[in-house]
Amino acid sequence: MGSPDQPSIWDQPAPAGDQPAPAGDEPAPARPAPRILRVTDLNRRVRSLLDSDAILADVWVEGEVSQPSFPPSGHCFFTLKDANSQLRAALFREELTRAGMRPTHGMNVIIHGRVRAYEPQGVYQLYVDTITAAGAGDLHARYEALRVELAAAGLFEESRKRQIPRWPRRIGVVTSPVGAVWRDITNVLKRRYPLVELILSPTVVQGATAAPAIVRALKRLYAQPDLDTIILARGGGSLEDLWGFNDEQVVRAVADAPVPIIVGVGHESDVTLADFAADLRAPTPSAAAELATPDATQLQTVLGRMRDRASAALLGRASEQRRRVDAERRALTGLAPDIGAARQRTSDLLERGLRAVDHRLGEGRMEVAAAQATLRTLSPVATLDRGYAVARTADGRILRDATTVASGDSLQVIVARGTVETRVERTRADGTEDLLR
Amino acid sequence: MIDDGALDGLSDEELVKRPFDELVAALQTTVQRLEGGSVGLEESIELYQRGLRLHTACDARLRDAELKITELGRRGVPGAEAEAATPTEE
Repeated sequence: MGSPDQPSIWDQPAPAGDQPAPAGDEPAPARPAPRILRVTDLNRRVRSLLDSDAILADVWVEGEVSQPSFPPSGHCFFTLKDANSQLRAALFREELTRAGMRPTHGMNVIIHGRVRAYEPQGVYQLYVDTITAAGAGDLHARYEALRVELAAAGLFEESRKRQIPRWPRRIGVVTSPVGAVWRDITNVLKRRYPLVELILSPTVVQGATAAPAIVRALKRLYAQPDLDTIILARGGGSLEDLWGFNDEQVVRAVADAPVPIIVGVGHESDVTLADFAADLRAPTPSAAAELATPDATQLQTVLGRMRDRASAALLGRASEQRRRVDAERRALTGLAPDIGAARQRTSDLLERGLRAVDHRLGEGRMEVAAAQATLRTLSPVATLDRGYAVARTADGRILRDATTVASGDSLQVIVARGTVETRVERTRADGTEDLLR
Repeated sequence: MIDDGALDGLSDEELVKRPFDELVAALQTTVQRLEGGSVGLEESIELYQRGLRLHTACDARLRDAELKITELGRRGVPGAEAEAATPTEE
């Protein structure tokens, strides 16, 4: 490849090159072979095109410095960007020194320079001749300033956070109706809690129009009756992508939600100001859907357990009744032996009493018999039985002394059986001993 | 919330149409009362039957549930379609 200053044959205008095509009155020549450019030539052409643009040659631009590099050459290269777009920028040593500042990542700057193509790499970039910081206007600083301001206004207070309804009937969702987020949310809810009704309030969630669109979508939802919960969601992205969720109007609209609102933006690590204002922050859109609903698959188990508890309670009640009946029966049968014992005791006593009475009676009978025997022994009748006789005088005295009667006196001699009427013939003082013979 | 009287007055078809959370709450209350111990055997049996009905209704609701989706601003809200049609997001 020759020096760029030495025109190559490719620099020569092509025969019919830049001229307008000849009028069609001539018969068209054979189609010329396509003109083939070298890469260098193409880049040079782009460069001259850019160089010829008056605005690009003298331009003011505002943006955020991203990833500045400071190679040994002393120059500085960085990317200048805003929420939607980015541009390569070069700040040469002389201009850098003159600027009196070093661009840093995230710094918002205002630059004057010109846009040119850099042929060796086929890129266009901004050649900076003046750079000044645009104050605390960069995204991070704005985020921080707004966070402090809204926190001071009380929008992020823990005491403002409401409980998410456990059994929602209607859930409002603000998100983009296209893309993975809405699909994820509906998938989660189909699987998890298909009993709920979803009200989608569609919105763009990215770009310059996102913030007012999100606010409109939220307000549209706020006008809906009977919502239990609202989910505001979008997928992950850079700080710039998520910027709409750091917009003051969006954050205030979130804080104004008439019902509990869950914000699930981006990935786990993305925290927007809208997250702070929400009643509940979900790490992802899917997680927001999960946090908004009970899990019906677990519900089956929970319900089954309730039914089991009911059965157990009923069985418990029944067996409790049975136990009570048993206990009472036991109490009754427990009493029965007491009666028996008492009866036993009573009958024992009775028997003993009877026996005692019998005994006494027996004794009595024997005593009576003995007494009778005695009586009989003592009775004169018994004596008479033994052959004795009782003699009575006429005046009824029992004759014990023979001298008290005289001959001729009548006597009654009473023997065991009968009485003998007799007269005394004579008396004697002796003769008693004859009885012993 | 469904009270006992309302519940017993509902046919199974009507019961199934009640909001799910009401059914669950009623089932919960029924089970708790059954477990409470201050009810007699007769009432226990009634409560148990009520619990079974509620459980069946809940089960049916879960089995037959289909996610219902309404989209706001499809018509009548200018710009909704344009916003909805914005293709990129992530």
